[in-house]
Amino acid sequence: MTIWRRSAISILSVVSVLALWQLAGTLRWVDPLLLPAPSEVLQTAVFLAANGYQQVPLWQHIFVSVARALAAFFVAVLVGIPLGLLMGLNASLDAALDPFIQFLRPLPKIALIPLTVVWFGIGETSKFFLIFIACFLSVVVGASAAVLNVQRDRIRAAKLLGADRWQIFRFVIIPHTLPELFTSVRLSIGIGWTALIAAELVAATAGLGWMVLNAGNYLRTDIVILGILLLGIIGYALDLMLVLAQKHFVPWAGKDA
Amino acid sequence: MSGEARVTIRLEGVDKFFGGKTAGGANGGTLALKDISLELTEGEFVCLLGPSGCGKSTILNLIAGFDRPTSGEVLVNGTAVEKPTPERGMVFQQPTLFPWLTVIDNVTFGPRMLGVARCDYLPPARKYLRNMGLEGFENHYPWQLSGGMCQRVALARAWISSPGILLMDEPFGALDAQTRLMMQELLVNIWESARTTILFVTHDVDEALYLADRVLVMSARPGRIVRNFTVPGNRPRDIENLASDPSMMEIRRDVLRCVRDEVRKSMEHSTHDSVSV
Repeated sequence: MTIWRRSAISILSVVSVLALWQLAGTLRWVDPLLLPAPSEVLQTAVFLAANGYQQVPLWQHIFVSVARALAAFFVAVLVGIPLGLLMGLNASLDAALDPFIQFLRPLPKIALIPLTVVWFGIGETSKFFLIFIACFLSVVVGASAAVLNVQRDRIRAAKLLGADRWQIFRFVIIPHTLPELFTSVRLSIGIGWTALIAAELVAATAGLGWMVLNAGNYLRTDIVILGILLLGIIGYALDLMLVLAQKHFVPWAGKDA
Repeated sequence: MSGEARVTIRLEGVDKFFGGKTAGGANGGTLALKDISLELTEGEFVCLLGPSGCGKSTILNLIAGFDRPTSGEVLVNGTAVEKPTPERGMVFQQPTLFPWLTVIDNVTFGPRMLGVARCDYLPPARKYLRNMGLEGFENHYPWQLSGGMCQRVALARAWISSPGILLMDEPFGALDAQTRLMMQELLVNIWESARTTILFVTHDVDEALYLADRVLVMSARPGRIVRNFTVPGNRPRDIENLASDPSMMEIRRDVLRCVRDEVRKSMEHSTHDSVSV
């Protein structure tokens, strides 16, 4: 299927669902309190953009959430990739750290909320920590696995061509792992975006996640749906940016020769 | 061969044991090679032939320096092999090219790692690419080329460092029959001008007889060298008439019988007992 045909079908599918949803609202098939129509959500969006929600402008809710998620995500990638690569290269380090990582990784991060509040208070630090830990674990695991997948014969070929240990790391292992690193970074930004909601459960006063939770308390389903749509669209956009970056920086991904 | 050819590769009483820590193999290791002794003189083209799993590749890995023998000696130009160096090149069954580098960057990988100046490595790289019929593909990426072309790039990459020894581990095994014939002719042509010492692992008897000065037939595991055939006939050999040459037919029959015996033994071995040592 060509990309145009694929996109056309996707757009048509989204438009149909939106139209059906609008129809359900206009014809009162469902109670607008349970599911407000897209037109109502749009009106709410325009209103919030002008007047803000709970004294905070809408753009600031968006900005706060994106800043929280991206800050924690970038630190997680900056620390996690080198550590993961080292674990992949050094079996002893891997053996020492792996139990903790494997214990923490499947642990629902929401369970850590009480502890993070006790440790870091209810400020930005605890929110940063929750998102960071979620991203970090997934990046570390991805990076160490990527090193183990490097083809042994490629390293051997490089050795015979005279490359020393550092050159093998720099010119063979790093480029070899890049496609997989991109994939694990993509996974981790999704996980980080998910952890954002857990983080904003902790005594926040702004942020999209907080807005959704807060509006739910007042039965403002239009704001809840607006928040969900914004969270989804931003998450999708972040992922798309990484996909484009991957295509640009590692055109050899998935094309083994 | 000239009268007093110099010995380049020498293996003496080499055993190679994999797995268990104790030499007796109490905890289920495998004796891959048993008492291997062989010699290659400078510029010689020797094929190693044998059933799969007999340790042909293990011999290459020992000579390359990826592995150490359990006992015995592996000598290259009189000194024991300690680690991989550019004096020994290797071509693997898979091209093992670097997909993030262009063809020319793949070929010049070795000189670039060794800090050779650009003006010193580019002309020979271009020459090898021309010899390999890869002119015009310098800026392509490996994943844009066919399997045979990739293997030619790998050959150029190994040869550009002018290694005294080229180790080849079934390099044409993954190619289709037509491409394989072309690659064999290409390899012999370049070898005849470069006179590199080549140890070539294959399980294809015809390939061995077309390429080699000598063919060493190995036994099933534990691998031993059971026969040493010297291939008659002057070079350049002609692939088409090779099959009808009477002296060739005779040696081909002998080699085939010898290999088939070993393959049969290896199959019986693997069905009768699963404990290897």
